[in-house]
Amino acid sequence: MESVSYQRFPKIKIREMKDDYLKFELRETDASMANALRRVMIAEVPTIAIDLVEIEVNSSVLNDEFIAHRLGLIPLTSERAMGMRFSRDCDACDGDGQCEYCSVEFHLRAKCITDQTLDVTSKDLYSSDHAVIPVDFSDPSDANDPFDNTETQRGIIIVKLRRGQELRLRAIARKGIGKDHAKWSPAATVTFMYEPEIHINEDLMETLTLEEKLSWIESSPTKVFDIDKVTQQVVVVDPEAYTYDDEVIKKAEAMGKRGLIDIRAKEDSFIFTVESTGAVKASQLVLNAIEILKQKLDAVRLSDDTVEADDQFGELGVHMRGG
Amino acid sequence: MVVVQADSLSEENVVDHLIDKQKHAAPPVKSAVDKFQLLPEFLKGRGLVKQHLDSFNYFINIGIKKIVRANDRIVSTVDPSLYLRFTDVKIGKPSMVVDAISEQITPHMCRLSDTTYAAPILVNIEYISGSHGRKEKMIKNDVVIGRMPIMLRSCCCVLYGKNEAELARLGECPLDPGGYFVVKGTEKVILIQEQLSKNRIIIDNDKKGNINASVTSSTEATKSKTVILMEKEKMYLCLNQFAKKIPIMVVMKAMGMESDQEVVQMVGRDPRYSALLLPSIEECASHGVYTQQQALEYLEAMVKRSTYSSSSTEKQENRALAILRDVFIANVPVRKNNFRPKCIYVAVMLRRMMEALLNKDAMDDKDYVGNKRLELSGQLISLLFEDLFKTMITEVQKTADTLLVKQNRSSRFDFSQYIVRDSITNGLERALSTGNWDVKRFRMNRKGVTQVLVRLSYMASLGHMTRISPQFEKSRKVSGPRALQPSQWGMLCPCDTPEGEACGLVKNLALMTHVTTDEEESPLISLCKCLGVEDLELLSGEELHTPNSFLVIFNGLILGKHRRPQQFANAMRKLRRAGKIGEFVSVFVNEKQRAVYIASDGGRVCRPLVIADKGVSRIKEHHMRELMDGARTFDDFLHEGLIEYLDVNEENNALIALYEWEATPETTHIEIEPFTILGVVAGLIPYPHHNQSPRNTYQCAMGKQAMGNIAYNQLGRMDSLLYLLVYPQRPLLTTRTIELVGYDKLGAGQNATVAVMSYSGYDIEDAIVMNKASLDRGFGRCIVLKKYTCTNQKYENGASDRILRPRKNEERERVLDDDGLAAPGEIIRHGDIYINKESPIETRGPLKSAAALADVKYRPCAQIFKGTEGESCVVDRVALCSDKNNNLCIKYKIRHTRRPEVGDKFSSRHGQKGVCGTIIQQEDFPFSERGICPDLIMNPHGFPSRMTVGKMIELLGGKAGVSCGRFHYGSAFGEPSGHADRVEAISETLVKHGFSYNGKDFIYSGITGCPLQAYIFMGPIYYQKLKHMVLDKMHARGSGPRVMLTRQPTDGRARNGGLRVGEMEKDCLVAYGTSMLLYERLMVSSDQFEAQVCRACGLLGYYNQKLKAAMCTTCKNGDKVSTMKLPYACKLLIQELQSMNIVPRLKLAEA
Repeated sequence: MESVSYQRFPKIKIREMKDDYLKFELRETDASMANALRRVMIAEVPTIAIDLVEIEVNSSVLNDEFIAHRLGLIPLTSERAMGMRFSRDCDACDGDGQCEYCSVEFHLRAKCITDQTLDVTSKDLYSSDHAVIPVDFSDPSDANDPFDNTETQRGIIIVKLRRGQELRLRAIARKGIGKDHAKWSPAATVTFMYEPEIHINEDLMETLTLEEKLSWIESSPTKVFDIDKVTQQVVVVDPEAYTYDDEVIKKAEAMGKRGLIDIRAKEDSFIFTVESTGAVKASQLVLNAIEILKQKLDAVRLSDDTVEADDQFGELGVHMRGG
Repeated sequence: MVVVQADSLSEENVVDHLIDKQKHAAPPVKSAVDKFQLLPEFLKGRGLVKQHLDSFNYFINIGIKKIVRANDRIVSTVDPSLYLRFTDVKIGKPSMVVDAISEQITPHMCRLSDTTYAAPILVNIEYISGSHGRKEKMIKNDVVIGRMPIMLRSCCCVLYGKNEAELARLGECPLDPGGYFVVKGTEKVILIQEQLSKNRIIIDNDKKGNINASVTSSTEATKSKTVILMEKEKMYLCLNQFAKKIPIMVVMKAMGMESDQEVVQMVGRDPRYSALLLPSIEECASHGVYTQQQALEYLEAMVKRSTYSSSSTEKQENRALAILRDVFIANVPVRKNNFRPKCIYVAVMLRRMMEALLNKDAMDDKDYVGNKRLELSGQLISLLFEDLFKTMITEVQKTADTLLVKQNRSSRFDFSQYIVRDSITNGLERALSTGNWDVKRFRMNRKGVTQVLVRLSYMASLGHMTRISPQFEKSRKVSGPRALQPSQWGMLCPCDTPEGEACGLVKNLALMTHVTTDEEESPLISLCKCLGVEDLELLSGEELHTPNSFLVIFNGLILGKHRRPQQFANAMRKLRRAGKIGEFVSVFVNEKQRAVYIASDGGRVCRPLVIADKGVSRIKEHHMRELMDGARTFDDFLHEGLIEYLDVNEENNALIALYEWEATPETTHIEIEPFTILGVVAGLIPYPHHNQSPRNTYQCAMGKQAMGNIAYNQLGRMDSLLYLLVYPQRPLLTTRTIELVGYDKLGAGQNATVAVMSYSGYDIEDAIVMNKASLDRGFGRCIVLKKYTCTNQKYENGASDRILRPRKNEERERVLDDDGLAAPGEIIRHGDIYINKESPIETRGPLKSAAALADVKYRPCAQIFKGTEGESCVVDRVALCSDKNNNLCIKYKIRHTRRPEVGDKFSSRHGQKGVCGTIIQQEDFPFSERGICPDLIMNPHGFPSRMTVGKMIELLGGKAGVSCGRFHYGSAFGEPSGHADRVEAISETLVKHGFSYNGKDFIYSGITGCPLQAYIFMGPIYYQKLKHMVLDKMHARGSGPRVMLTRQPTDGRARNGGLRVGEMEKDCLVAYGTSMLLYERLMVSSDQFEAQVCRACGLLGYYNQKLKAAMCTTCKNGDKVSTMKLPYACKLLIQELQSMNIVPRLKLAEA
């Protein structure tokens, strides 16, 4: 049997990049690869989140567990997370979260002494580590915006206090992954789509009147097609807006023009959208995910079982050994 | 000329008509006045439980005064010149006497301190006080005769008329509707009781198919039931006081109608009626009864001789007449022995019976809502109070008499001293807290009248307050009363009824229903006379049923007749609309019975409707504008005759159009809003009119079990069990009812993104698959608060329980503070001590000082927390108060936060319940290319057979709602009036935001990353978490506790009981032939016992431990004793039989 190499070299093209948003194309690979990347981003890229809360005083309306749960869900900047240890395998401490390798301590002290309700927000959390702080959502670009909403400036609300109520607590943040609890997931949204390939049968299209063309364009719930003002031809303006809803195909069939349009999903081309919670930058999130994916593959490649069973893997073994 | 003109006119009319029709066909939304705003206005003025409040207020303001006025004298039988008279009665402010100081109380104080929210009953009295022949008149004001439990938000309540801030200061939730009582700290509702109308003739078939006419009479003095029965073409009277049934003609003769002709005339001169009457007349003659005297003698012989009252024979002579006067149709008064009204009444009954005989349609329907009355809290309490008040009076009289009999009294006699207050207080309190209405005086013995107000969710409490409990016992297998009655339209909710045995019997009020209270009768009677009702006294029997006149019947009493019934009715209605007579007086012209019924009695259900003149609504655009501007209230609409209340009977005289544009010239009324035919609980279902009807009924039952917020003061309350949702939301797809009742402020559910697809196989049989990340983020998370109470008892010898400070290093006493009580905020686990209490060993005997008692005289009596093993709870609150015996009472609230787990029950608002089948990681969940990932997955098989189209529309509407940022509506039948968004409009919104019009999305599998083969119907649906959770139900046991008597394992989860191998399970094992398994299950694992059996006598022996040998007690030796194994229960049976002098002997043989 002739050995055929199925090895491919995936390519990435970044389309749009912001701190918490990334859109890129992933080409020349298949769905398993794309999905693995997506899954790792959601569930296995580590971040830091509050995991242990010691409440000293809580006279607020929300009970202790409630507040602890809310604290846990506050995203913390986690650039350090990749280098940190999981507290369960930290050998510098016995897991009570006191050591710098695996945990970060936070303090919160708030008391309302005025008649106005006091919003306790993530800004009131004082961190022992300046690199790990609650994510700041205020956009520096419009800091001097007169219509700026002060609510967003104040961070994430934890609880509101009335006159005389007090909240005092110590919280320990630890490294973790989204698989354990969603609070450790750095991804707000990670999704991909197959890139659609749209072919308009121009000959058939020309048999349509302008009105028919317009109504056909209208039948798509998203704006995929438009009409060229000059030539009055139907053009694809945004293929990615297509949601594989088949509406245009059905419409074409209803108009008696079967085969007017041919839309196929490219099997090897994906458009990723990654939105980060702010714990890590979206770009870093992707890099971390790739890193973790590599580590996982390494773990398989280098494990004793794999070496022993090397023969069974055949060509795959060659791949894994870096062939 | 004239003809032509007429023709042209008619042609014009035709054209007009055509145009009209076109107008009707066109979408008419804009042309009609939007009357919806009336509804919030109506509910604002009324609240959700006005029926209870009105009824109670009526009792407090009028009813109680009537009772006291009717029994206002206590006269000494010894010295009739000594008397006490109640001149006035009123209810004070709710207060409590603590250490001889009267203190104002609030309902919340009572809830927390387990006391009764009650106000003193104050009377003004006037009495003769005297000693040694000198008598003087004394007057005392505001004497307390007892304490009346006060309904919350009634006119006596401290919450009456308070605004939101004031209510909050009193610790009360502004959304709480009131209408219940606080008795000994628990909230009690007096359920609305459904009953057959009192004082009305009801023609019905009895079991044998005989026609009978029955009247349940109820006056202040007596209550009786009169039945006239037709058997073998002859008519008889059945009355409890007579031993046998009496020929009706005898009764007529006894009442002075000696001439048969007169009777025939009174019944009506129709030859058919005379023919039907003939057999009865003949029978009367066959008994030889011709005169009144003979008739009375005949009756006298029939009177049931009561065993004890045979004192004076002279009195007995007149007993028949007395019965006829006082008991027979007691609601018709006999003045100066004038029996004529009663004769006429009987004649009308006979006439109606004969009519029913000739024409089956004339039969009355017992299930017809118009023939029913609802008895509310005010009426029930007034019955109770009347009884207690009368009892008190007789008691006072008795004590006064015994005192006055003594000749040489030293002190002066003071009547007012003998008024006891405890009997009324305790009587009222006992009845309210047990729910047993035992009023001997009125031969009333009802159980379960009050119930503890359900506080599982806000909806549950509201639903509880509108519930109507049935008159029949539930076990009866009849379909009639359970069926939905057409007359329930708009009055009683067609959806909200329980499933199972009480199905259709327990009902709920609709949103706008009002229940009337009694209204003064005499002004209405004189008004009727003024409007041309011809008095009965002036009419001969012949004239009674003349073809051109109608009888006028007022509250079941025949007033007379009227020659122009329609004009009369119109005049009455005009007066009502003008506000000259009460708005709840109903005028009903019954063409079939040729009678005008006027009703002003309490307990009728009615609802407001817009009045229309010739099909044109009286409410115009400017009225509604004034309402919006606040220049007009609902009452103004009522007073100006734009709106009126119609009861079920009067609805029969009305032609009610659903919408203004549907009105025809004949229309007399227009509905305010069609969705008001549903009740409060059914009102929270979106698009209920698209669902299969039983689904809505199921939801009504489930909406009451949903967790959420129960009130704004929920954390300040001390409920014994409280379920709260951590993040409750208001539904994305709301209804108008939701906003009206405040469900949007106290929601009980969350908007979950639902994908309708199959996933993982753990979603069969209605199970749902949940997203773990959603649960991590707080979906379905709930707080369970449980109350534990403990009293620090004081004993008769002066000793009392004591609470000790904890010992250090004792693991179980970890959560205790220095005062020996668990501190709030401490984490408490199964087996922890939360009160370190000790009780004295000696509790009787001579008085001892509590401090002097030595430590050895106490035994530990610590309170140990019994939670679920492995779960940790938190002490939420500790409250200390004193109970009614002045003991220290410690209440704990222990909190447990739970996240959903496999087996927890969830439900949408469409009767689609399901348990969580599995919980799956977010990355394995399907996702759309926008990144939307569902919170839960529901199996599509839930749809075809359930036909809950409403749920699908809810999904669509919710999806459109989140896309465009506007709450969508789905009120029942709301599409034409704009209170429900149409699917077309929703689809348009969806398309505008880039979704498919049908709500389906293109989805990728989270496991493979490949697109799914089908488009998936996905969007937000409001999901409720129901109170049934696995944690409270799961149970397993290996070995454990046993019942002392039988030595078998205990039963039930609470006692860590065993799982029973029942009859059917046993049969299975028998069928399989697994004899050893059976032996093991039923014997070894249950109550195996080693018994000593004597082979000689066959009786049980015993094992003598000293001799190390088995003995037989009967034979006195151990020669032939064998040891055998048998169930302990069997041994017990043998011994029990022996104790009954039955000797079971065991005959043993070698196996």
